[in-house]
Amino acid sequence: MPAASRPIYNTLFRKNFVFLGVVFASAFAFEMTYDNAMDKLWDRFNKGRQWKDIRAKYVKTEEDEE
Amino acid sequence: MASLSQIPRTMLCALPRRVSPAALPIRALSTSSKRSDATSSFDSPFRGMGNDKASNIPDFSNYRSKQGTKSNLVFQYFMVGTMGALTAAGAKATVNDFLVNMSASADVLAMAKVEVDLSTIPEGKNVIIKWRGKPVFVRHRTADEIKQAENVKVETLRDPEKDEDRVKKPEWLVMVGVCTHLGCVPIGEAGDYGGWFCPCHGSHYDISGRIRRGPAPLNLEIPTYEFPEDEMLVIG
Amino acid sequence: MLARSCLRSTRAVGAARNGVVNATKRAASSSSSSTANASSPFGLNLAGSAATAVAVGSMTWYYHLYGPELHAMTPAEEGLHPTKYPWEHIKWNKTYDHQALRRGFQVYQEVCASCHSLSRIPYRTLVGVTHTVDEAKVMAEENEYDSDPNDEGEIEKRPGKLSDYLPAPYKNDEAARAANNGALPPDLSLIVKARHGGCDYIFSLLTGYPEEPPAGAAVPDGLNFNPYFPGTGIAMARVLYNELVEYEDGTPASTSQMAKDVVEFLNWSAEPEMDQRKKMGMKVLVISTALFALSVWVKRYKWSPIKTRKLTYTSPTGGRRPGRH
Repeated sequence: MPAASRPIYNTLFRKNFVFLGVVFASAFAFEMTYDNAMDKLWDRFNKGRQWKDIRAKYVKTEEDEE
Repeated sequence: MASLSQIPRTMLCALPRRVSPAALPIRALSTSSKRSDATSSFDSPFRGMGNDKASNIPDFSNYRSKQGTKSNLVFQYFMVGTMGALTAAGAKATVNDFLVNMSASADVLAMAKVEVDLSTIPEGKNVIIKWRGKPVFVRHRTADEIKQAENVKVETLRDPEKDEDRVKKPEWLVMVGVCTHLGCVPIGEAGDYGGWFCPCHGSHYDISGRIRRGPAPLNLEIPTYEFPEDEMLVIG
Repeated sequence: MLARSCLRSTRAVGAARNGVVNATKRAASSSSSSTANASSPFGLNLAGSAATAVAVGSMTWYYHLYGPELHAMTPAEEGLHPTKYPWEHIKWNKTYDHQALRRGFQVYQEVCASCHSLSRIPYRTLVGVTHTVDEAKVMAEENEYDSDPNDEGEIEKRPGKLSDYLPAPYKNDEAARAANNGALPPDLSLIVKARHGGCDYIFSLLTGYPEEPPAGAAVPDGLNFNPYFPGTGIAMARVLYNELVEYEDGTPASTSQMAKDVVEFLNWSAEPEMDQRKKMGMKVLVISTALFALSVWVKRYKWSPIKTRKLTYTSPTGGRRPGRH
């Protein structure tokens, strides 16, 4: 094994329950980042089409009237 | 022709014959790598398989890593672990979606809140509002009534509760109007304690909705409510 | 000896199970003991041709019975097939254009709502899609609904709330029929899903009224000619004309613009979950692709020692030829 990867192996993969824990923890972290990234991508696909893009127009006029 | 009942016996007979002496094909396998006398520059694992197809297997030893079995262990665990993590994330999302299904649907949630305009309720008046099919009493209490409700000795009550724990603003008393005895709707501004009186079995509630006399075991229930604006009450 | 006879019997059973086609094979397999005629090329060819003829024949027969599509109506009665339009919101990665939904709702309210109900849409669903909370509340309060029974059991009228559904133009279907020469204006909540051709059909129908019915077309009294409508006689007259509504966002209100906006709005009312569904679908597809690639790698990884291993055996008796007993 290359010397650089030995500490990674020893800390993350050597013990099975540590490995499992790392897998589940990274699943949570991955889900959050993935959802974020996909939402960003989705918003770029649909720029100007969604309600949040045009919402400001209508909310502001309401406040001006008040 | 052998009948069916004879088959097990013939198999028993055949088994030791197969196992004990070295069967020809298996012994031949070990020699396959020695036959690597191909002249081509391409080192095919299938070389030398021309003559006897039954006794030859390809030689994959060239594909083996030269650095030993542990050389790319980190990479291997990384790939397996990534697959596990992705699967776990997917499974979590799936389970989550099923659980979300069980929560109240949008039309139920839309009916679950009731807005009440408080400016239309004068002091010392009761208003009954339907909320999730149940009546809710809203009373605009006068200063005297508040004082009266606060001065009651809590220890003497059947269901001891301070008045300040039952209201968010002392002048507004909001309660579910269902008698805690058998579920009748009590009558407002009646009874011996200036509060509510249940006509079914004669339970008397005071001006804070606490049970004082009669068969009911508990005080009138308080729903969750809030005052988002000064003159606005949202129940639910 | 016993083992050999046993083998032969199982082979016979297998052949019998596999049926007619294998009859020739059995004949071929036992040919070593019988005459050479059975395995002649001519016999095999004959059997193969017969099997092919039976297969093709049965497929033809089946297609003849169930294959051809039956049409109750002639193409003229079916109506003209709608043109395919490049709807932007139909694409797999596009949401609805919510500005268009807002315009479409305006068209529905000012034009369609005088005859057609939209009974599955409550005001609360417009919040965060086409209108703000306050706007939706104001719109809901413009209508009156039956209240819960009061203390005396009387039902009174109350202003609408967000949880109320859009009001229908007629009290019931009978009233709607009576007001429209016996033709019932269909509810529009799911109309995009309910009509063959979906968005294209409704757009074509709305914009497809000719100035005059073509020569020779019979248009019954009280009906209007529309080539896209099945039967071509439709009770609804052309409703969309240029500048019929005034869009609040300044979009020129041409007939086709209004038709396009209202069709997109009706598509939303039929599939309000589409934005969310497509986003979810994209996420799932990306994850599944990654998982598929990973599982292919892991499969190869797990199988590589099994596929490349060699078995060697050294006989303890020093390589004596196996004897028979």
